[in-house]
Amino acid sequence: MKNLLNIIIVVLLAHILNSCSISNKDSRDEILYWCSNDNSEIKFAKVSTEEWNRNNLKDQVKYQPVPEGRSSEEIILAAVVGNTTPDIYSNMWQGDVEAYAQAGVLIALDSLNGFLDFLYERCDSAVIEEIKSLDGHIYQIPWKINPIMMIYNVNLLNELELHAPPQTYSEFFNASQKFQKDVDGDGYVDRWFGYSEVLVTWWQRFFDFYPLYLASSDGAPLVKDNKAFFNNEYAVGVFRFLQTLYKKKYFAREQLTARQDVFLASIIATRFVGPWEIAHAEKFKPKGFEYDYTFMPVPDGHEGPVYTYGDPKNIVIFKTCKDPQAAWNYIKTMINKDGDLKLLTITNQLPRRKNLNSNPFFQEYFANNPKMKIFAEQSKYVKGTDASPVLKEVFDLISQEYEACVIYGKKTPEQAVKDASDAVDLLFLQ
Amino acid sequence: MLVSPYVVHFILFVAFPVTFSIVLTFHKWNIISPMEYTGLNNYIRLFNDKTFLKSIGNTLIFLVIHIPLQIIVALFLAEILNQKIKLRGIFRGAFFLPVIVSGVVVTILWQQLYGYDTGLLNRLLTGIGLDKVGWLTDPNIAMSSIALMATWKNVGLYIILFLVGLQTVPTQYYEAADLEGATHMQKFFKITLPMINPTIFMVVILSTIGGFSLFIEPYIMTGGGPLNSTVSAVLYIYKQGFFYYHMGYAATLGLFFAFIILTVVVIQKKFIEKDN
Repeated sequence: MKNLLNIIIVVLLAHILNSCSISNKDSRDEILYWCSNDNSEIKFAKVSTEEWNRNNLKDQVKYQPVPEGRSSEEIILAAVVGNTTPDIYSNMWQGDVEAYAQAGVLIALDSLNGFLDFLYERCDSAVIEEIKSLDGHIYQIPWKINPIMMIYNVNLLNELELHAPPQTYSEFFNASQKFQKDVDGDGYVDRWFGYSEVLVTWWQRFFDFYPLYLASSDGAPLVKDNKAFFNNEYAVGVFRFLQTLYKKKYFAREQLTARQDVFLASIIATRFVGPWEIAHAEKFKPKGFEYDYTFMPVPDGHEGPVYTYGDPKNIVIFKTCKDPQAAWNYIKTMINKDGDLKLLTITNQLPRRKNLNSNPFFQEYFANNPKMKIFAEQSKYVKGTDASPVLKEVFDLISQEYEACVIYGKKTPEQAVKDASDAVDLLFLQ
Repeated sequence: MLVSPYVVHFILFVAFPVTFSIVLTFHKWNIISPMEYTGLNNYIRLFNDKTFLKSIGNTLIFLVIHIPLQIIVALFLAEILNQKIKLRGIFRGAFFLPVIVSGVVVTILWQQLYGYDTGLLNRLLTGIGLDKVGWLTDPNIAMSSIALMATWKNVGLYIILFLVGLQTVPTQYYEAADLEGATHMQKFFKITLPMINPTIFMVVILSTIGGFSLFIEPYIMTGGGPLNSTVSAVLYIYKQGFFYYHMGYAATLGLFFAFIILTVVVIQKKFIEKDN
């Protein structure tokens, strides 16, 4: 019954979007651009489209926040089903693109004039390789990232006489042991070194397992050639690291979300988060509270740069677009150097472009926003997601084994990683 | 002409969805790509899907805890509320209140009560020197916690049903039993229970149907965890359909689950007919 109800909801959503689209189409030859419904991104879209429209009377662009729904992914899906997609959508999770590309609803951007030249000038070849679809075409434009890094409480670490944040697993364990405490003396630990959501929800792994796996493996893929690629020492090592954190109660095993902000309340000393935490911390931090960011912890003896998950959001052009070349011409101005600076200043999100940390054009912004500088440095070493139409399932299967092994200690890391890998292989066979 | 509204409604909301679901069971379909015929693959997959079998087991565990608990608590409270006690009307209203409150609201409220560190229940336990309980985080306890909450939410409805049943028992039987010197317990087991048997059966059937559709509680409180110990069959079907967009497989699971419910209801019906 609920199944039927949900199908009805999707059909209704598609119908509503269809109605909106019909009324739009009646009155427009303009390009319709859906941005995220985050306030700062709406502001960015407004500034960007107004500037474009002033100089391009022929190809006018109309921006509109993605319609309200339980999630923007669901709205996009409903729009695809109802054939009411916008011309441009700018908040596409990289992991969703392959499924839409295979469904044939996206424009192959590498077929547009000037696209590849622009892309190679903006991005490293590794990034271009990462966004390539399984059929060899490119359906997405790398736009922005929010790298996951470790935020830490400077005062608390100083109290522990740790004058640098822990960088390796051993250092992390040592710091955790020193910090862990039963503050109220009731026999239960109530001060932990870190916290990560214990929910089995697939995307929670973007904030623990996945960035740690990328850090440990120098950015290795999870899946490759329609097979699991993570049954390796790196994934096992990450599972063991996290399992130890929970086993020794260095991380809280219970949900702490009902409390106040546990990081700002100094109940935990570290957390794996993105740059969005800066605005929140600046607004709500208590007096004298000092924090900073550092790279994700890595195995002892790790050498070289530390990779992490970049949480990339990209731009796509849907096949419902009547003039993809005109849409691309607008996007080019939206993500050129000026556009990227506007993105930084208006939204405090990093554009995914090469040499961001050293390009003089952006240095004034980073001088004014020093906390963002470390993210710019990290931006050289971020990975998105692998090209696969079943990526959510892959993360879900990993998450199931993560829960059994890391949170509840029911499996060894080796067994859990192998079981997840076998399940992913089976998924690809189906 | 007169039956056409019903026929249109039947075709749109019963015949077409059911037929479409059955057709879907032989296909692979993710909504955005064309359907692909896969024969009996979905059925073969179903019988090898350990998580689905676990979700059926979880649903049965929920029913085994929830139904007896519901009947005992509802009957006990109905028996009290059937006496001439002070503020009887207020108590009856109070017990019915959770029934009309949104399931989502109740679930979020109980999620706070069950919290490990800050939940009221664990604070009470530690206050009297007992250990904390992982109400929603211990795989062995989580489903019982959900069953307890579901009982609290629904018991008011069953109290009303039992009250109606109790008030249909002729008072002469109790007067005769009093003359024979029967105790209160004897009257309850020898008169009350046999006389309200049809009500008990109705409560069992309603609770069974409600229990089989268990969804909101695990969806909001635990997401099916820990270790899949609270994944109900409906939650699993939802996940396959609206998280993975495996529409064909979700339809297969739905059809199979409908068959299980039908079997249980037929068995219950046989019992009722035998009793009558």
